[in-house]
Amino acid sequence: MRELPQAPRPDRPATRSGLGVVMISVYAVFAVAATARAGYQVGTKLEEAPVAYLLSALAAVLYVVATLALVRSTSRSRTVAWASVTTELVGVVGVGLLSFARPDLFPEPTVWSHLGEGYGYVPLVLPVAGLWWLARTRPRTSEVPADAAPPTSPPTPTA
Amino acid sequence: MIVVLVLCALLGAWAAWFAAHDRAVVLKQLWGAAVVEGVLVVQVVVAAVLLLHGWDGDPLLLWGYLVVALLVLPGAALVAFAERTRWSSVVLLVAAVTVAVLELRLWQIWQAGA
Repeated sequence: MRELPQAPRPDRPATRSGLGVVMISVYAVFAVAATARAGYQVGTKLEEAPVAYLLSALAAVLYVVATLALVRSTSRSRTVAWASVTTELVGVVGVGLLSFARPDLFPEPTVWSHLGEGYGYVPLVLPVAGLWWLARTRPRTSEVPADAAPPTSPPTPTA
Repeated sequence: MIVVLVLCALLGAWAAWFAAHDRAVVLKQLWGAAVVEGVLVVQVVVAAVLLLHGWDGDPLLLWGYLVVALLVLPGAALVAFAERTRWSSVVLLVAAVTVAVLELRLWQIWQAGA
């Protein structure tokens, strides 16, 4: 069987290699899906369910930002990834619970309604997986170049 | 439609087998993905023709899904070249599942307007 060229595995963990490409590809799928859906909802029928549709748009932006931040994989983009993934987790849990408590606010489903039920609960698993991945790939002090800024601490989760 | 689902299942299973055996995507799998992509292109053409013959749904929604479905497998193929580890197989699996889900949604949307 013909093989594509094999490259050595990178020794230094980066957010975009190995399992990271899987993480990024799932994020990319959700970024595209959420952007398309939110664009369609906000563009054609915003007045029907403004809260739900604007939350859809927010979710879309977060997925896009998280995807790009994971791809860039610099120390600053890691901070951005931490922030966006944390917000996403807060969003999916918050909106998920709110959609049970106040269904009247969500006459139309969003990506995050009922904890991401409509998307196989992937929206709930994804931010947890994202945070785990960011923690796992956090550069050790010895790997940071001397002239680089010290690794920034993750932002305090907003709730 | 059924053809796409069956092909996606085959491609996904093939990719899962490779992922489980710690192997990266091989060229043959990309040819398989190209076959699925070809069927998707045929689907776009068929949908366009059927739309001209009248379909009582939302064309914007339909086209959104048709176009996004076209982008998924080429993306996975790019990853297959860039990431030469088992994880490219996982990405191909994710792509096959994504196309299958999009296909199911397309079917729902089509039925709603038929």
